[in-house]
Amino acid sequence: MNSTILSRRNFVAGALGVGALLATAACGGPAGGNAASRITWSTWGTPEEGQRFKKFNTQFKSDNPSITATLQMVPSYSDYHSKLLTQLTSGTAPDVFYVGDDYIGKFVSAGVLMDLTPVVTGPAAKVKMEDFNAALFGAGKTDKGLFALPNDCNPDVFWFDKKALAAAGITENPAELAAAGNWTIETFLSMCAKLAAKGMTGAMFWNYWSTHWSWVAANGGKVFDAAGKFVLPQDPTSVAAIESLAKGFTSKSFTVADTLPDGSGPDSLFVSHKAGFYVQGRYGIATAEQSGSKDDYDIAPWPTVSGKPGPSGVAASYLVINAKTKAPEAAKTFVGDFLSAKGQTLRLADGGNAVPSVKGADSVVLGGNYPVHAKSFLTMTDTGFEDFAQEAKVPGLSSDVSTAMLTMYQGKSSPADTIAAVGKLMEKAV
Amino acid sequence: MTALLTKTGAAVAPPVERKEAGWRKRDRWWGLVFVSPQLIGMIAFVLLPFAVGLVLAFAQWDGLTQLTWVGFANFQAQLADPVFLRSMLNTLGLALITVPVGLALSLLVAVALDRLRGRTGYLLLYFAPVMTSSIAVSLVWQQILRADGPLNEAFTKVFGIPGPDWLGDPRFVLLAVSIVTIWSSMGLNVIIFLAGLQGINPNVLEAARVDGAGPLRTMMQIRLPLLSPVVFFSTVVAVISSFQTFDVVFILTKGGGPENSARTIVYQIYDEGFVHFQFGMASAASIILLVLTLVVTAVQLGLQRRFVHYES
Repeated sequence: MNSTILSRRNFVAGALGVGALLATAACGGPAGGNAASRITWSTWGTPEEGQRFKKFNTQFKSDNPSITATLQMVPSYSDYHSKLLTQLTSGTAPDVFYVGDDYIGKFVSAGVLMDLTPVVTGPAAKVKMEDFNAALFGAGKTDKGLFALPNDCNPDVFWFDKKALAAAGITENPAELAAAGNWTIETFLSMCAKLAAKGMTGAMFWNYWSTHWSWVAANGGKVFDAAGKFVLPQDPTSVAAIESLAKGFTSKSFTVADTLPDGSGPDSLFVSHKAGFYVQGRYGIATAEQSGSKDDYDIAPWPTVSGKPGPSGVAASYLVINAKTKAPEAAKTFVGDFLSAKGQTLRLADGGNAVPSVKGADSVVLGGNYPVHAKSFLTMTDTGFEDFAQEAKVPGLSSDVSTAMLTMYQGKSSPADTIAAVGKLMEKAV
Repeated sequence: MTALLTKTGAAVAPPVERKEAGWRKRDRWWGLVFVSPQLIGMIAFVLLPFAVGLVLAFAQWDGLTQLTWVGFANFQAQLADPVFLRSMLNTLGLALITVPVGLALSLLVAVALDRLRGRTGYLLLYFAPVMTSSIAVSLVWQQILRADGPLNEAFTKVFGIPGPDWLGDPRFVLLAVSIVTIWSSMGLNVIIFLAGLQGINPNVLEAARVDGAGPLRTMMQIRLPLLSPVVFFSTVVAVISSFQTFDVVFILTKGGGPENSARTIVYQIYDEGFVHFQFGMASAASIILLVLTLVVTAVQLGLQRRFVHYES
């Protein structure tokens, strides 16, 4: 048998050949076609949501045969933005991507996003500026342009359990009280006290910006002034609101959903009729369905001092285009299709977990006639507010504020100390 | 070999030596070719990031906008930040628990396995967590340590009182992280100690036995002193590894545990960099960690002279 001796020259030539082959394969990608017709887009979400996005991709390909959109899915929201930042820093970020409402301000002010005004203006636009709920633009819209468009949203509503309320001797229906303009904070607190007296949890809140600031707004307080200054500490109504919120948690009428142990988490408590209220978005439908008796559940807006519905927090995610995209036209087409009423209906119908951000897709929310007062999702979106731009501009600030608030909810710091600590965080961030 | 003389009287290497020198030169090139992947990796993933980190420690940079120089401000800010100081204390606390307890347990197991027949099976069992992804290990332990998880169920059955909320109570979170860290790293130390024990000259042990030394005395006065270089090596490695704890904390606790009770320095670095987009602060924290590691290692090296015995 002839033995072949690998010379240095052959070795180097071979190595270069293999390298060139790998580089060609890496650059080629699976889709083929030219760079201007290929885009990648990324988002976070569960595998179920991934299926919805794949469904959208298939429809998009059918509507736009010349464009190939490849989805990059990150399972966890908490890991998503760090990955995105790394991609942006290294110049490998997707052409189109989701951004959370607590990070959007930073990405906008950093100038890494394309102005989306052309996507929503002009006769050919598939979705118009006026189709969007103006309250949802949040920090995505500045005096320099429109850099982010809301994909969809989730107003924080009060899901309530009729069975649990009845077990606590409560005969009034919060949704009906709200419709009659009688859904007051006083009534709500009294209901929670009755639930707690019966050994149940009054209300479960997720610890994030919407919880703190919606409560302040519901009580008639103010968080930031028009100039963007954090004025909560100087406003006696806001301070009183924070004090009453703290009291709700320390008196065990309220519970922080995030801190409940895994085995008896908020979903378990709610579906087993051990809690009266659970504050969350439209994704609460899935929780109610888990109970097997979803008609026991309905929704109400945030209570207010006067009893008349007021503004409350609406969580949103945004779709943006990378300023360095090599396929700007394809990216714009994708964003237009994704955010159009047709696109949102496709993504959110049949058990979807959010509320459309544009007009013309209301049937998604009202179509299934569930919950009974589903219309509240739409009215609360119209009257709601997004995470304040001042907070959304600084990465991690929203989460730092929640951490500070948690110590108060757990009774480890007083409302006054917590307000001072939050004030310091805001000051430091600005 | 005798050198040849030229007409001018200068010594030259004989032809055979010249040929060997040529081979050596060629070998050197081949050597370079074969180590180049490692070398490139070292430069790209160790030296370059270290240099960048060093530069960033003196700057303010969010990864997206212009970098600005701030001198020592990042270091001052970190050292004045109670969260960073807490993470330093947690890191030291974690090392103080995991290193002695982990090494002592590993030594005990290694001694037990030393004379055991069929120890390969046990070694495989002990080594399995080392081979398993730390993420998978942490996810499994997360379920075990739940307030209503199997560990507390057993605890309640045995003691008749409910077990602690391992991951929800600030007093227990660091302990929970320590348990997982010790469990997952024990296998490696057992292997190292076992190799050390088996490397001890049997004649020395036999001589001790003949002189009337019992098992405990042999252990304390013969085996442990002879094993001290191995113990020293394992201690240094375990301390450095403990200082770098991240993945267990990241998976097991939510954001470093309640009241930052399990936040380590490396978690702080991640949080500053990738959650708050403050790479300057993150780099300063990493430099402080480097200095801390160097100081502790230097102390260990200093103590080596007193406590480590090398068999001559």
